[in-house]
Parts: sequence; structure tokens; C-alpha cells
Amino acid sequence: MKLQAVALVALLVVACNGHGSPQENETAPAPSQAAGTAGVAEPSVPAAPASAASGAAERDASAIAALDRMGTYLRGLTTFQIRGETSRDEVLDDGQSVEFGAVVDMIVQRPNRIRAEVTSDRKQRLYFGDGKTFSVWARRMNYYATIPAPPTLRELADTLADKYDLELPLVDLFYWGERKSLDEIRGASDIGPSQIDGVTCEHYAFRQEGADWQVWIQQGDYPLPRKLVIRTTTDDARPQYTATLAWNLAPSYDDTAFTFVPPKDAKRITLVEAPAPAPATTPH
Amino acid sequence: MWTWRRLVTCVAMLAVLPLAISVWAQRGSRGAARSSVSRSSSANVNRNVSRDVNANRSVNRDVDRNVNANRSVNRNIDVDRDIDVDVDRRYGVGNGCCYHPVARTAAAVTTAAVIGSMVYSLPSSCSEVSVDGVTYQQCGSTWYQPQFSGSSVTYIVVNPPR
Repeated sequence: MKLQAVALVALLVVACNGHGSPQENETAPAPSQAAGTAGVAEPSVPAAPASAASGAAERDASAIAALDRMGTYLRGLTTFQIRGETSRDEVLDDGQSVEFGAVVDMIVQRPNRIRAEVTSDRKQRLYFGDGKTFSVWARRMNYYATIPAPPTLRELADTLADKYDLELPLVDLFYWGERKSLDEIRGASDIGPSQIDGVTCEHYAFRQEGADWQVWIQQGDYPLPRKLVIRTTTDDARPQYTATLAWNLAPSYDDTAFTFVPPKDAKRITLVEAPAPAPATTPH
Repeated sequence: MWTWRRLVTCVAMLAVLPLAISVWAQRGSRGAARSSVSRSSSANVNRNVSRDVNANRSVNRDVDRNVNANRSVNRNIDVDRDIDVDVDRRYGVGNGCCYHPVARTAAAVTTAAVIGSMVYSLPSSCSEVSVDGVTYQQCGSTWYQPQFSGSSVTYIVVNPPR
């Protein structure tokens, strides 16, 4: 972009100085729009097993066991509060990655209550699940949507992703500990001890289809994930997501925290069922 | 030596420059890093959304990053931005809109008001209208209906409800 602006200015100078005709310069770099606009190429990327490149992938049984233990522990937590700092790469049409940060504040009370607030430079969202309904509220624009909620958070996460194309923040927390998530892992390594925010963790690295990822699990009796890094491998730019998590296992909260009471000037809009875009709607 | 021809060329190019920059500055996103390992979520795949608007580097410097939960008066959150990706674009107070003059121009030029098409952002001069309990944004003769597409607010072009 900067280069293009410079090129334009140069072009101007040329035009104004009268050296050569501007005509011949008009082949200045065209916007690189065409290359990327096809978008949505991800699913068509051939699925190469992670092991293909270097023979059989290491699948360290102790790393798998550590992940399993963490998952089991997480599933046993009835209430918890997390403050997560996340960063996520976004890949532009031309392949350049830019990183966006966000802060997630989340309170969970199993089996079916959640309140999460996600604040980034670009968006502010609050999610409320009180066991009966789920609401998303765009605070600054003051729009909200409410749908009926399934009985558990795990099912809520499924419904939101499958039906509404909406991913709950830190959604892995509701899936870890399931057999399926372990089965998908093709490579597993124990990298060694590591300090995260002053806490001694064990650092593990995993590979599975579409992602290389790492998790830092607190050592000792509270095997909590303290940090998560996911590198998407289906895009050439290999964008990365990072979350650093601070845990509170004895949060204080009010029951009303999970129920969304719309401000009186908030406008209710629909949460569109995927796949969006939906066909034109005619209210009358 | 200046000639009339050069002068005209020069002036013409000067006039085109801001527009050219505004067009070239648009860069869409082809996708984001996935944010979970348990779901290879389609939420990470880019939707096919018109990504018009946005480019201005220097027009409006009114930045208010400190948004107050108690509804601060100044809602004009314009951060210089060259990337047109998923973002809350309209923080308007009731009567709509809010973006830079340059961006508005770009939007007016590029937004195709085809019924059923979806955009992340609205053109200029929109007003929020409620018809039979449904919220719309009326922008000239084009009507948009806001909706959540995943966690993003998008606007779909609809037939005028009245």
C-alpha cells in the first residue's frame, strides 16, 4: 500500500515535470486483489498426514497422557473464571499476516452457565448462557440476539459452531478430556519445563490435521492449561493463535451474571443460521 | 517547461490520487488463524462478504478508544485502518452513520445494493428505523437489516419494508 502510494506520487512528479508521458507509467502495480478474493479455499486443501514428511510422527505416550489428565481435571471443575489474553493472526488477501489482540473474561458454572466478555480493538462481545437461553450482545452497537440453549455447555458449543458459525471463546476448554480430541493427535512431544506467568508448567507440542499446537500445563496437582498456541497449517501463511490464561477456581459471582437483561434501547436482531449469507428476507 | 497539457495532466492526476489511494488501500482478509484444536471450525473460514469501505489515512482523527459501558457521549471510534476485515463498523447513535468522508465515498461507489447481498459496513447517511419490531438501517433508497453472522454484525440488503 505504501509502495503504491509512493509509486503514485512518483507518477505525479513525473507528470508535473514533464519527463516522458504519464502513459507509459500507468502500468504501476495494480492492487493485488485478484489473487486472494477467491477466499474460502481452506477446506479444499489436501489433507496430508503430519507424518508424511518425516516418516512416522512421534507420539509420545506421556504427552498424550498429560493432555488426558488435564482434560479430565478440567471436566471435573464445576466453576471457574478465566482471564485470557489472546492474539490471532489474520491473513490478508496477499498472504501478509497481521495480529489482533483481545482479552477474554469468562465465568463458567457447569453444566450450563457461562458468561464471557471478549474485548478487542475491533469488537466487544458479551455472551450469556443461563441454561435456558444463549444471548450475544454487541455492546457498542447495542444489538443482541437470543436463541434457546441446549442443556450443557458442550452441546451449546456444538450448536453455536454447527448451526450458527459462532465459536465460543476458549472453546477447547469444553472439549478437552474427550476421547475424540486425543484420537485426532498425530504427533505428541514433551518439550520440557517452562515458566508461564511465574508458574512452572510442562510444555507439550502436538500435531494434528490442519494444526500444529502447543500447550503449557501447570505442574503439580492442578493441571491447568496456562498457555495455548495454535498454528494453522492449512494456509501457506501459517497464521497463529495464542492464548495465555489466568485461572480463578473460586470465583465470586452473582447468579444474575449469566442472564442477559437487554438495556432498554438495545435492538434485538437475528443470529443467522449458517451457512450465511441467508437469502433476502422480506418482512412483508 | 510547463505546457498546458502537462498542467492538465498534473491536475487530473492530483484529483485522482486520493481516490486511487482509497481504492488500493482496501485489503480484505482471506481468513484467520483457527482458535481451537477441538473444532476445525468453519467460523475461521472467511465468509463471502463484500468488503467495501475503508482507506482513510488522515481525514478524521477523532479517536476514542475508551468506550464506556455507561454509554459515553462520544461514540465516534475511528481508528486509522487500512484493512477491511471483520470489525464493528457502526457505532452510530440512532441516526446511523459515522465513518470518514472518504470511506463514505468509496462505499457509495462500490456497494452494490443487490437484495440479499451482505456487507460488514453501511454507506453514509443511514438512519435506524423500526418497522413492526424489526430493526432496519435505511440508507437512501436501500434498506439493510442488521444481523449476527457468527459473532460479527453484518447487514443484509432487503426489500423496503414499507
